[in-house]
Amino acid sequence: MGRFGLIFKSIAKGRVTEKYPFAPIELPEGFRGKPEIDPEKCIGCGACATVCPPSAIQIHVDEEQGYKTIDLFLGRCIFCARCEEVCPAEAIRLTKEFELAAASEEDLHQVVKLKMAKCAGCGRPFDTVRHLQFIAEKLPEEQKPMLALCPDCRAKLASKILTVAARRHR
Amino acid sequence: MVDKILAEYGAVVLDRNAKRLVVQVDDKQLRPLAEKLFESGFYYANGVGVDERGLGHDFAMYHVFASEKDKLYLVVKVSTSNLKLPSITPVIPGSNWAEREAMDMLGLEFEGHPEPERLILPDDWPKGVYPLRKEFDYNERPEFVERKPESTPQRTDVVQLPLGPYHPALHEPEYFEIHVDGEVITDAKYRGFHIHRGMEKLAEGRLTLNQVPFLAERICGICGFTHSIAYCQAVADAAGLDWPERAKYIGVILLEIERLHSHLLWVGVVFHLLGFDSGFMHMWRIREKVMDIAEALTGNRKTYGLVLIGGMRRDIDESRKNWVLKTLTELREETERVSKDIFGMKELINRIKGIGVLPKEDARALGVLGPVARASGIDTDVRRDHPYLAYDKLDFKVPVYPEGDVLARLLVRYDEIIESFRLLEQALSEMPQGDVMIEDYTIPSGRVGLGATEAPRGEDVHFVITGVESKVYRWHPRAPTYNNLPSVPIMLRGNNIADAPIIIASIDPCFSCTDHVAIVRKGKVIWKGPLGEGVKQVGR
Ligand code: SF4
Ligand code: SF4
Repeated sequence: MGRFGLIFKSIAKGRVTEKYPFAPIELPEGFRGKPEIDPEKCIGCGACATVCPPSAIQIHVDEEQGYKTIDLFLGRCIFCARCEEVCPAEAIRLTKEFELAAASEEDLHQVVKLKMAKCAGCGRPFDTVRHLQFIAEKLPEEQKPMLALCPDCRAKLASKILTVAARRHR
Repeated sequence: MVDKILAEYGAVVLDRNAKRLVVQVDDKQLRPLAEKLFESGFYYANGVGVDERGLGHDFAMYHVFASEKDKLYLVVKVSTSNLKLPSITPVIPGSNWAEREAMDMLGLEFEGHPEPERLILPDDWPKGVYPLRKEFDYNERPEFVERKPESTPQRTDVVQLPLGPYHPALHEPEYFEIHVDGEVITDAKYRGFHIHRGMEKLAEGRLTLNQVPFLAERICGICGFTHSIAYCQAVADAAGLDWPERAKYIGVILLEIERLHSHLLWVGVVFHLLGFDSGFMHMWRIREKVMDIAEALTGNRKTYGLVLIGGMRRDIDESRKNWVLKTLTELREETERVSKDIFGMKELINRIKGIGVLPKEDARALGVLGPVARASGIDTDVRRDHPYLAYDKLDFKVPVYPEGDVLARLLVRYDEIIESFRLLEQALSEMPQGDVMIEDYTIPSGRVGLGATEAPRGEDVHFVITGVESKVYRWHPRAPTYNNLPSVPIMLRGNNIADAPIIIASIDPCFSCTDHVAIVRKGKVIWKGPLGEGVKQVGR
């Protein structure tokens, strides 16, 4: 058939180019588009920032004001969905949105600002209130007071308890 | 057999498993051993310089050899305390670039190298600064030195024709300088490495083990997934991990989807270069459906992002399986029908027959890989010779054509498209149930691992040394175009200038993967020094 076969084929197939952007494009379930953080749900644990391969998510701590910010910059995002996979609060998820052109770089940032709790020992803000609440729900009652302390003070207290216990033992 | 050779040269076995063997030899024994290995059927697969001071050793060079016959990857390590090592390029031309790469990046010196010039680092990079040494930070930016402009002397005896630095069809930076006498090409030079991205340093300096697969997938804009698989297999090899069966099948399915879309893309581009745009349109029409399958299975057309060290991140939705199988059957019939019409066009076939010939001996000396090797009569395929994932359980043929011309390269790839359809049908229907990921594992530090896959363009070899705190100590990926490009000048010589674009495209080059300058004639380096100097040499 040679070339005539191809000509018939073309006529039979007609136009195959999608109408997009004049008509919406169909996307399958599970398509990995723009990630979105739900500021209501995010507890500021920072797990997403740790796994994010290109560091599209960055955490900043403002000790003076007592805030932690989770800053997702879409300009760096590679849409891998690792963040969605590790988020313990199901706060970040990938949407089907893929049209990300923006007039300014700022429009590509999503920032979640969370209040931090101050350490009952040294007074330094050390973790977000929401994250502590999230952990508290999973802890047994007797261990909850420990959550009021920052990791440094917690370690000091623990070693104090141990020394006291050791002395008693003697 | 290998053991006998190794014993003869006093090699000490450091680590071995069924698929790969790591040995250390004394530097004096290296060159004779390399020669012997080459004679007994090994080709040069990868060369990696490592700054091992962080592991309590000196600097080392790891030469990786592979043999289809012995079904083995052989990693030969040589250490040096004074940065000097013997070069093996005089006995295996294929190691030329790898040694120069280690020279540039680590400051190793290879005694007896025929062409000890810069390969990767640009001319304005300061002397004595070696980016892959551990004291060099990944985000360090050295002061650039002033670059002396090259004075390219004009020759009067030949016409020098520049092609590039952007390829008319591939939209990637590469530069060929073609010397023509009338219509006929007398010589060609390649210059590359314009877009070295420093990925290895980034991985060692900033990423964790499970972040590197996403970087590896971005080595190539077409066949990236196979790189991420090769990397994960290398780490799994170092740690002795064995993936669940289902993960292996998913891996095969996605790799073959990738090969399909890559080959269909290439066939389309070749038709386009030949001015046969309706063939191009038909091929890309078919390819688009393959992209849809990838999108449905992974959530994206091109970057699947599915693999981690422990296996696959997500399972394939069983409910989509039937749709995928049905679509694949339709696509295969469609490909066969359209190709029959296309191959029936004699003028097209005559246009690519007998041009760009690469003889088998040259192909082997340079360590040419994949479809380019198979079109020059070399029977090689990692999937069959060094099985990984579930390939040992699947049935497929490896097409080999002896002609070595552009037509043979087209036919090899066409046959592979059909074989990929077959592999996909088998893998999808035979895929077992079960887990797709191992979650519980530890990665010991300081271990060597090797991962090799058959990418659409040929063998990808990833070399890994594991580090502490979930990091890679050293990662060195080698893409197939790195081995295939040096064969292009051989293919070009004696052909008409009008055939140059199609000949260059016939290796399906991928410059961003390779990015690396070599001037080679009949497997021998004919020129050393900057390009301008090289021009002077030709025709003498
Ligand atoms: S999708 Fe990937 S790259 Fe984007 S924010 Fe999430 S983890 Fe980072
Ligand atoms: S809750 Fe989720 S989105 Fe918020 S910081 Fe943790 S991982 Fe990130």
